[in-house]
Amino acid sequence: MKKIMFLLFILLFFPPALNAKDFLGAPVIPDGTTIQKTDSRLELKTPLSHDEVVSFYREALKDFENIKFREWKDATYIEDDGKMPWHSITISKEGKDSTDIVIVKDNWTWIIGTLVLRYIGVFMVLMILFIGISVSGKIISRSVKRVEAKKTAD
Amino acid sequence: MTGNEILDMLYGTLQTTGIFNFQWNVIIMWAVGSMFIYLAIAKKYEPLLLLPIGFGIFIVNFPLVPLMGFSHGHPQLLQVFYRYGLQWEVIPCIIFLGLGAMTDFGPLIANPKTLLIGAGAQLGVFITFTGTVLVGFTLKEAASVSIIGGADGPTTIYLTQHLAPQLLGPNALAAYSYMAMVPLIQPPIMRLMTNIKERKIRMRQLRPVSRQEKILFPLVTAGIIALLVPSVIPLMGMFMLGNLMKESGVVARLTDSAQGSLMNIVTIFLGISVGATMQADKFLSWKPLFIFGLGLVDFAVCTIGGIVTVKIMNLFLKEKINPLIGSAGVSAVPMAARVSQVQGLKYDKTNHLLMHAVGPNLAGVIGSAAAAGMFIAMFD
Repeated sequence: MKKIMFLLFILLFFPPALNAKDFLGAPVIPDGTTIQKTDSRLELKTPLSHDEVVSFYREALKDFENIKFREWKDATYIEDDGKMPWHSITISKEGKDSTDIVIVKDNWTWIIGTLVLRYIGVFMVLMILFIGISVSGKIISRSVKRVEAKKTAD
Repeated sequence: MTGNEILDMLYGTLQTTGIFNFQWNVIIMWAVGSMFIYLAIAKKYEPLLLLPIGFGIFIVNFPLVPLMGFSHGHPQLLQVFYRYGLQWEVIPCIIFLGLGAMTDFGPLIANPKTLLIGAGAQLGVFITFTGTVLVGFTLKEAASVSIIGGADGPTTIYLTQHLAPQLLGPNALAAYSYMAMVPLIQPPIMRLMTNIKERKIRMRQLRPVSRQEKILFPLVTAGIIALLVPSVIPLMGMFMLGNLMKESGVVARLTDSAQGSLMNIVTIFLGISVGATMQADKFLSWKPLFIFGLGLVDFAVCTIGGIVTVKIMNLFLKEKINPLIGSAGVSAVPMAARVSQVQGLKYDKTNHLLMHAVGPNLAGVIGSAAAAGMFIAMFD
């Protein structure tokens, strides 16, 4: 609780402190330790719990448009669908004494990758429909023929 | 009363007219509205929609008209239509109900492999998405623009309203304009992508489909779509409900209402509301012009996608499919299927492709709805 109050205090009264520490425009939690940093990726570790980190980001990103929080099994995934230079912030749920945070730059690999997957997805949907219609069609045709044959025999 | 007082009174009265609040950019919008009214009346391009859309554009671009704003906190007339019809995503779903009640899925059930053509024809949707992001649209805007190539008006409106309502007017207009221009856009692409031998391929007559199959189809389809792409079930669910009503044969009155009066009523509200979103200050920017340009490319790539899918399928099939029906994989029901028929007859006067093309045509409706569902799932 104290930590959350501390973070809220920083956000409310010292917004420049937040701006001073960001990665590609994405807010970076103040007391995080950098594990790895490249031009397109920042990996941090913080002693704060997962919920505290999520609270920090909910507050820090509340005025941003096109931001979405997704709850995954092993992480909270924050995604930007707008024009921010960063694409996602992943907050791990698995750490016991610390929480891992990964900030990733917006990238074309993600866009192209997701598009290809979704195009294949459309094929899959219609393929399953094709199978469903074919199977149900065959079953019904057979039963209709059987009924007709029975009528003819009678 | 002094002369000045009379002048003040006159000035005050004139201030309440549109003349004193006139801005020059509305003239362009009058021209745009008039052009769509002309296309609807003189050229008969999608008149049921382009006429009310054109009038909506025309009438909403007069200064001070109480149509799309709020008076004393209450929404004005077209604002009511827009809010409860489009913003609440009701009208596209009701239109799908009517479409379902009009549609005979027999050709698709008889030859279900044509479903894959409907999937292939969504190629342009995904390619256009990339192009749109490249020029600076947000991902949500890009998704809403790219669905235009699917040539399905209600799906375009549904997705745009969901992801990028600010683009509703241009997107809807581009979708319906290009749907109306299917007979002009598709034939050159069809000729480019096929040779004469392919265009003469004859397809076996479709088997008759039993009533039981037709009744089961909407249930199977709704179930599969609900499982795989739940986000688009408001559209597809209503589509399949309409079809179930039709095929069951036990609710003739409901079917008649859905495909007749109800459809006509919502079409009026849809057209005028879409037109009313196109106010000069919102519409006159580079984005709508770009949407119109890219929409054409999108449509062309979708047509190519459908034809190429048939060609790939032919590599594995014993009984070849005429690739001219591939272009019908874009929705635009039934215009795209008719184009396949006309093109087929040009090369063989006895080769009737219409019923064969209806299959991919309907598959295109399901495919574009599936693509829209994929996008909604991506952003929701």
